[in-house]
Amino acid sequence: MTEQRKDILDMLAAGKITAEEAEQLIAALERDQAPATVSHDARPKGKVKYLRVVVDATDNGEPSRVNVRVPLQLLRAGVRLAALIPPQALVKANASLSESGVPIDLTQLKPEQLEALVEHLDEVTVEVDSPDATVRVFCE
Amino acid sequence: MPQLVTVKVNRPDRRPVRVWVPVLPVALVLFPVVVLVVLAAIVACVVFRIGVVRALGAAWRVISALPGARFDIEQGRTAVFVAIR
Repeated sequence: MTEQRKDILDMLAAGKITAEEAEQLIAALERDQAPATVSHDARPKGKVKYLRVVVDATDNGEPSRVNVRVPLQLLRAGVRLAALIPPQALVKANASLSESGVPIDLTQLKPEQLEALVEHLDEVTVEVDSPDATVRVFCE
Repeated sequence: MPQLVTVKVNRPDRRPVRVWVPVLPVALVLFPVVVLVVLAAIVACVVFRIGVVRALGAAWRVISALPGARFDIEQGRTAVFVAIR
């Protein structure tokens, strides 16, 4: 409970304000605090430069750690390079993916869609916790 | 463009290996090989009907975007670290 909220409840308990006034004051307090909370958690937009993948795991009793930092610019360049893959290669890749149980049609993936995905990666945070491993994917 | 590639390898019961590779001098030494690779890429582009200029431009963008990449993998007492600056 915040100090201000406690003050309002104290005033209500002392009979200095009515329940309705207390409700209005608490509502106003929450309106003021909400943007501050959001801005505290939000990362500065447009400043992220890297995609980070951090994996901490235990493999056969030995601790293992993977820490990868990839520039987002590299992902964008990779998307443009991938756009040059000839259609016949994509068909072969589709067949191999289907055989492996991953029925994804790569010919349906457009470079613009991939670029949009990379553009919005800065808002993505993936955290996976399991007894043997922890995986974190985020941008910084 | 990358300037320096740092590679560190730690293995149990062996001396750690640390290598700093200056990219530009190495690329100059390997210039004939680089030319051959570019020629092979151009031939591949023509065979698969891909725009040569677009392909070379995209490849150059990938190389230019490499600085800042870092890969750090550890398992037990074995570790490999690669950083591109």
